[in-house]
Amino acid sequence: MTTMQNVERVPAQQRSAWREFLYQVRTLRSQRWGNLWGYVFVAPALILYLIFQAWPIVRGFYMAFSDYRWIIPETHGWSSFNGLANFREMAQDETFWRSLWIAVKFTLFYVPATLILALFVAVMISKVKNSKLAGFYRVVSYLPVILPVPVAMVVWRSIYHNEFGYLNHFLERVIGIGDPPNWLGSPQWALTAVLIVTVWMSFGQQALLFLIGIYNINIEQYEAAALDGAGGWAQFRHITMPGLKPIFVIVLVLSAGVLGTTVEMMVLFNTGGGPAEAVLTTGLYAFRTAFEVGDMRMGYAAAMSLVLGVISMLLSGIVFRLLRTERA
Amino acid sequence: MGNVIRRSLRPENLVVNLSLLLIVVVCLLPFLWSVSSSLKGRQELFETMPSLFPRDPILGNYQFIFTRRDMSMIPLNMFNSFKVTLIAVVVQTTLATMAGYAFARMEFKGRDLLFYSLILLIFVPRAGGLMAVYELMDFLDLRNNHWGLALLYASAMSTAVFIMKQNFLSVPRELEESAVIEGANTWQVFLYVAVPLAKGGMVVVALFEFLYVWGEYLMARTLIDFPELQTLSVAVSKVTGWSALFTSSAFSTYGAEAAAHVVAMAPVILIFILMQKWFIRGLTDGILKM
Repeated sequence: MTTMQNVERVPAQQRSAWREFLYQVRTLRSQRWGNLWGYVFVAPALILYLIFQAWPIVRGFYMAFSDYRWIIPETHGWSSFNGLANFREMAQDETFWRSLWIAVKFTLFYVPATLILALFVAVMISKVKNSKLAGFYRVVSYLPVILPVPVAMVVWRSIYHNEFGYLNHFLERVIGIGDPPNWLGSPQWALTAVLIVTVWMSFGQQALLFLIGIYNINIEQYEAAALDGAGGWAQFRHITMPGLKPIFVIVLVLSAGVLGTTVEMMVLFNTGGGPAEAVLTTGLYAFRTAFEVGDMRMGYAAAMSLVLGVISMLLSGIVFRLLRTERA
Repeated sequence: MGNVIRRSLRPENLVVNLSLLLIVVVCLLPFLWSVSSSLKGRQELFETMPSLFPRDPILGNYQFIFTRRDMSMIPLNMFNSFKVTLIAVVVQTTLATMAGYAFARMEFKGRDLLFYSLILLIFVPRAGGLMAVYELMDFLDLRNNHWGLALLYASAMSTAVFIMKQNFLSVPRELEESAVIEGANTWQVFLYVAVPLAKGGMVVVALFEFLYVWGEYLMARTLIDFPELQTLSVAVSKVTGWSALFTSSAFSTYGAEAAAHVVAMAPVILIFILMQKWFIRGLTDGILKM
């Protein structure tokens, strides 16, 4: 059979990429060599990908099971294999557990906060009839998304500044809070500060995805519902929400990566873990272990990020299983 | 315009527009705040109630970061960022277009296997990826090297290849077939018939790569050791060393930092405003179809 027909018959979404992969492995032998120009066109991309993407995955996985220390040359290469020692050490490492808890807490607050805000903004924008105005709202809410993360963080660092920052001026003199929090200086507020910025930076992306989803829902459904006397809330519950289910899956799957949030904390708090290490997530702890302290223990750091990666993968897998709608 | 305003004041629209107005303010304030701080002199910056609109705006902060080569490396960092971004965007767009074309139009053994491997690898956790990349770049002697960094950025091209493949599949292949009949060879068909039709996809790929490279932090930070070789996004997040030099100057660290922030975000904002519609297209072609 020709593979060309294959693509036209089964769009990527209908059969999962994994099933398609297995199917291709099984049928590889029966495929004809075909047009060899194909290899010439694919080769440059593939070579670059193999060197800089595929190899680090393999090598990083091995590192997680070795006692690799950058500044000790004897531990380089393949010789320092130490089995599960890194993971045993991790189980005893209080800092690791604390950092994992911070990452989990961060994710638990971040996901619903961003989702609700994004959904709210998307529904609001979809209600704007004037297309120029709607376009303006779309652009403005997407603006924080395109901002380079480190730049956004330094800007917010100055907004949060305890003496000269705008936020506390505002809270003190406009709202009238006598004792505004020292956002970046006190352990109990530090994580909230990161949370506010990350939500600010990313709700626009999700809002736009939701908005595309809403625009794709057939307007006649709303008209029919309105004729039947369904109010705004009923329409939202029975038409908008079910219609957005595929978008929810995408948004939640993408959100699972938040568990590894690192750069935001690094820049906002000048690389440290923040006051009393209140924002030392596992990603940050691993980075510090590998690049900043002691022997630069890359093996141990790789083991930690492996654990983190597996948790994220499981989370998105669960979301996918739970929410996946049957597609014909 | 009057019409629009009157309609916005109806109760149901009022709720919508007021809440969106609040969102607009929240979204824009940090941008306005940076621009305003960057235009303020020392006195105005440290007032008890800072105003969003500088009374007498000055360009001194910008002048400082661009002309005081002894203290500010911002021009160098900016050049580095443009260089790395340009290389990465050109390399990735070119290679992804070629690969996407082959995946969409040519039949060869293992084609779909390769394609789905590329897609599935997105979901494999990058355990210790950064450490492995560090070791790899050290081995290849590509640390502190802009080409190395750019190739690394260009290599993350699963989504780009996916978008280009979809793009080629969505344009009719009859033109290519008739070009073949007229005697064009593979390269000619690709360059003169297929690529012009796939420009849209290439713009989307280039755009998202530009944004990614311009703002990437972790790899640039770990692979580049020297401040004069650093990219702008990383450099900007580190400019704290100015404070000591500023005690007697007419300008302030705070203002100069704000100016640096504005310089670092200006290109992305400019590109975004100019190319808005491509973003929606990129999102629908990339994330939503995957």
